[in-house]
Amino acid sequence: MVKLIGAVLILFSASMVGWQIGRYYAYRPVQLRALLVALQMLETEIVYGMTPLHRAFVKVGRRVSEEVGRLFLYAAELLVSEKAPSAEDSLQQAMGKYWAQTALRRQEREVLASLGQVLGSSDREDQQKHLRLAVTHLRGLEEEARAEQAKYERMYKSLGFLGGLLVVILMF
Amino acid sequence: MREIMAILPEAIRAILTALPSAVKEHLEEIRLRQNQPLEVRFGQQSSYVTQAGQLTSTASKGWIFSADQAVKLLSQVSQHSLYALEEELKRGYITVMGGHRIGIAGKVVLEKGDVKGIRDITSFNIRIAREKKGAAQKVMPYLFEGGNVLSTLVISPPQCGKTTLLRDMARSLSYGSEWSSSRKVGIVDERSELAGCLEGVPQRDVGPRTDVLDACPKAAGMMMLIRSMSPDVLIVDEVGRAEDGDAVWEAIHAGVAVICSAHGADLNEVARRPMLGNLVRHGVFSRYIVLSRTKGVGTIQAIYDRSMKPLEKEKVAWSS
Repeated sequence: MVKLIGAVLILFSASMVGWQIGRYYAYRPVQLRALLVALQMLETEIVYGMTPLHRAFVKVGRRVSEEVGRLFLYAAELLVSEKAPSAEDSLQQAMGKYWAQTALRRQEREVLASLGQVLGSSDREDQQKHLRLAVTHLRGLEEEARAEQAKYERMYKSLGFLGGLLVVILMF
Repeated sequence: MREIMAILPEAIRAILTALPSAVKEHLEEIRLRQNQPLEVRFGQQSSYVTQAGQLTSTASKGWIFSADQAVKLLSQVSQHSLYALEEELKRGYITVMGGHRIGIAGKVVLEKGDVKGIRDITSFNIRIAREKKGAAQKVMPYLFEGGNVLSTLVISPPQCGKTTLLRDMARSLSYGSEWSSSRKVGIVDERSELAGCLEGVPQRDVGPRTDVLDACPKAAGMMMLIRSMSPDVLIVDEVGRAEDGDAVWEAIHAGVAVICSAHGADLNEVARRPMLGNLVRHGVFSRYIVLSRTKGVGTIQAIYDRSMKPLEKEKVAWSS
């Protein structure tokens, strides 16, 4: 009886682990999309609205999904409270704090970090160029992420379940 | 002063906080030039400032404003959003919260021969705007005739308090005073100095019945306000360009009184300038107020009527 309960537990937890890993592959393209949308909104705010950066961050942060929005909201908070001396620093700090909670990877972080270096420190034309460049980069990454999702999401989900099943079979 | 402190980088803020309070109270300008000592202007004097916040006349003892600080200051002043200041960079100054103005100089970038902006900004001149309520008290009695507000030109050399006077006139007209009931006032604030708007909201008290068109070119702004806000009085700072003159004409023909200011030492000098002279000769203005610094900022030197005759001297009280 105890063995049976153990078997069920093992099967359940192994499936959950597989499911979690699989979900990570599903989340990445979704969050990448949110980040893309965020940057496009930022472009509008900067180029057409000439909104000061901290307010643009807040506007954008509120309108995209929470995981990505948090980054911008926190960066805005840092800028307003002067805890960050520059836009670059505010983004870096925000990424340091919240990046681990997103499904995004190092490549995305690098794109955002290099954008941060120029954000707010040049005229509109230049800002637009840099924002478009970042968006193009992220588009490439998004495609890649979608391909990976198609490939791995299913695989990890079934792998978790089958792995659990293997252990159970070995147990009996 | 608090607003200014808030936008300064830590290091500069610390030095200014350490300044003797007598200096702080009368601070007019804070001048920062890259690789040169920090300079303050207060009252009629100027002096360098040491790291400890003491005044010194020796340049080498002054606290040196480094390139690093210049970048920081610009970033703070622009709220990390240089792109939002394109117009300001073209004109060479930035207005910040509280209506203070920061003049900038550096390398000018040209596009097709026109100034496109300033890059490598190395010189900053922080001009502290002081609000002086009641500055217009002494001139208000001269601004009315038969219950109507008279069109007035305020003539003054730089830094004699003409913006302060205009603002106080706006406030006084808008609130109403012992000389008149309250009026609808329209302000075209091209340089955000009169009302010191931040995000469209006047930071200075310009009265409850005042509409401000912030950062709008004067000529276009005057026409817009006349059409959209039907003001009784239009208040405009520093007219000078040809199109401003046309707009003043239009406004007066539309039955709106215009109170504006112009740079100049006296009425005769202004009358010789092409656009203003034209307006003066056609008797567009009914009052001319000449300011000077002879008895401190905001001294009212003389008031003339429409035929350029001085109004009785004894009625012209001095404003201190």
